[in-house]
Amino acid sequence: MKLLIIEDEEGLRESIEEYFAEAGNICETAATYSAALTKVELYRYDCILLDITLPGGNGISILKKLKENNFTDGVLIISAKNSLDDRLQGLDLGADDYLVKPFHLSELKARVSAIIRRKMYNGSNLLVFNEISIDLQAKTVSVHDTPLKFTRKEFALLIYFIANKGKVVSKNAIAEHLWGDGIDLADNFDFIYSHIKNIRKKLVEAGANDYIQAAYGMGYKFSGQ
Amino acid sequence: MKLLTLYNRVNIITTVVVMVITGIIYYQAISWILNDQNDKALKVEEDEVFDYVKLNHQLPQVFESKDQQITFSEAKPNSITREFINTDYRRDKNEYESGRGLISSITVNGKYYKILIVESKVETEDLIQIIFGITIGVILLLMLVLLIANRLILNRLWQPFYSILREIKLFNITDSREIPQTTTRITEFVELNQAAAAMTTKAKYDYKELKTFTENASHELLTPIAVINSKLDTLIQSENFNDRQSKLLNDLYSAVARLSRLNQSLLLLVKIENRLLTDQQNINLRLLIEEMVLQLEDIFSDKQITVTVELEDKEVLASRYLIEILLSNLVINAVRHNHANGNIIIKLTAHNFFIKNTGDSKPLPDDKIFTRFHKSSNSDGSGLGLTISKQICENFDFSLSYQYQAHYHTFIVTF
Repeated sequence: MKLLIIEDEEGLRESIEEYFAEAGNICETAATYSAALTKVELYRYDCILLDITLPGGNGISILKKLKENNFTDGVLIISAKNSLDDRLQGLDLGADDYLVKPFHLSELKARVSAIIRRKMYNGSNLLVFNEISIDLQAKTVSVHDTPLKFTRKEFALLIYFIANKGKVVSKNAIAEHLWGDGIDLADNFDFIYSHIKNIRKKLVEAGANDYIQAAYGMGYKFSGQ
Repeated sequence: MKLLTLYNRVNIITTVVVMVITGIIYYQAISWILNDQNDKALKVEEDEVFDYVKLNHQLPQVFESKDQQITFSEAKPNSITREFINTDYRRDKNEYESGRGLISSITVNGKYYKILIVESKVETEDLIQIIFGITIGVILLLMLVLLIANRLILNRLWQPFYSILREIKLFNITDSREIPQTTTRITEFVELNQAAAAMTTKAKYDYKELKTFTENASHELLTPIAVINSKLDTLIQSENFNDRQSKLLNDLYSAVARLSRLNQSLLLLVKIENRLLTDQQNINLRLLIEEMVLQLEDIFSDKQITVTVELEDKEVLASRYLIEILLSNLVINAVRHNHANGNIIIKLTAHNFFIKNTGDSKPLPDDKIFTRFHKSSNSDGSGLGLTISKQICENFDFSLSYQYQAHYHTFIVTF
């Protein structure tokens, strides 16, 4: 997939670029409003990560420009402004999603994957990973065409893992993804472990490979192989 | 004590005292003048007696006159001193009035006589009484007039003061209402009005500055937090960490997560206080709470907390975003301050939302729990949850209160 990362903060831009850099992905970056505008006018992307506050202009104007030209690039706004107005304005203007800083890279990846999935496989709600196929609409999982019973959280977690395949996803990121704000209650993440144990068990019993590995006590990795 | 009461009290006491003193002086003066008049009349009579004796060498005949009696009596030579006395005046046989007398002496044909001339003072006293009566009447009238005048004048005069006071009482640092100009010509009140207006404007300005500062500071913090977060996410992609390094990374993750939540809470608080979140919609609280309880299931069971839910249908018109925050803050609070095998009871009625939880067996200081950064020593929350909840409630004219009853800490939202 082809991405454009419009973000003025160098540290963040580099991290995102590195996280998304993998075989088959092309990541371009822009640090200023004018640089972003030039790229957006010249090239098409599968997804544009758009920061709102940029040196030289407002990210919302870039979004407007895209829509004026009927470009169909997916747009994910990443903003420090957790203001409902911004969020609504952004989504009204045709952004596909809105993510507030600070965020986990795995969360960003999951959101971008969802946007691209919607764009690329127009109409199809089927996410296939090797022997596992997931119907996003019906929220069902099947392995080798055998349907499995997944809970809501297990389902969400599986999709999250597949979006971040090959990456170590921290327990914190998983917890925030599944429980949102409530998660700072958790003294330990044991209950994440029980969800993951269940997913592994269900997949393996249905004949799938054991893709999920614990990564040094910090998180889990859904290996791509 | 009201100003008018105090003013009246001082005023009336002063008036009465001054009037009484004036009355006494007045009385004395009139008595003295009238006495003097009496004495003059007595002296005229005495002179007449002397003239008569000089001319006729005998005592005059004594006639009964209306208000004057003269008596002559023989006395030892030179035993009489001339003097004026207060004595009785005999009107009839047994009827005495107060009178004024002059004792004098005369020698007629070698005989020494004492002369006693007595005059009735009844008319004089009547006069004094009338004058005294009029004076008292005037005092009373004056007092009455003063009372009424004070009431009218003070009430009217102090009207601007009361209206300024009312404005100051209504003053709220968070709303945009200014203290209006009061129409008065009285310099003091104009100054008071200006001072109050200036003070409130300054307070509002400072408050706004403080809020802007908080907002900006929190905003500026967001980017570095985002960078740290992303760098940590990147760091854990590299291979081969030992246990100690993993532990350090986990601690870092938790600290950053806490920092970012704290930061978001501050930003949220500023936004609520500024009333920037104004979207309103009908929200079915029952559905919202059910969803939330389902969402947090794992956390309840992880902490071995039993949750009892008893919900009636209730809709409110409010911002969905804020109501979600309110409810989740209260639920999180109930979990955080609970103990293992504890209980949470959530109840929703048409008028109230109750959330009760077991926890420390002593009530919380209810004057402090809603202040910023107040938290129990063993809490790892931000200390802003209840402050935010309270603010949200105020935003929608709900009230949030706390009770401790029979081992349960209860927070009540009243719609």
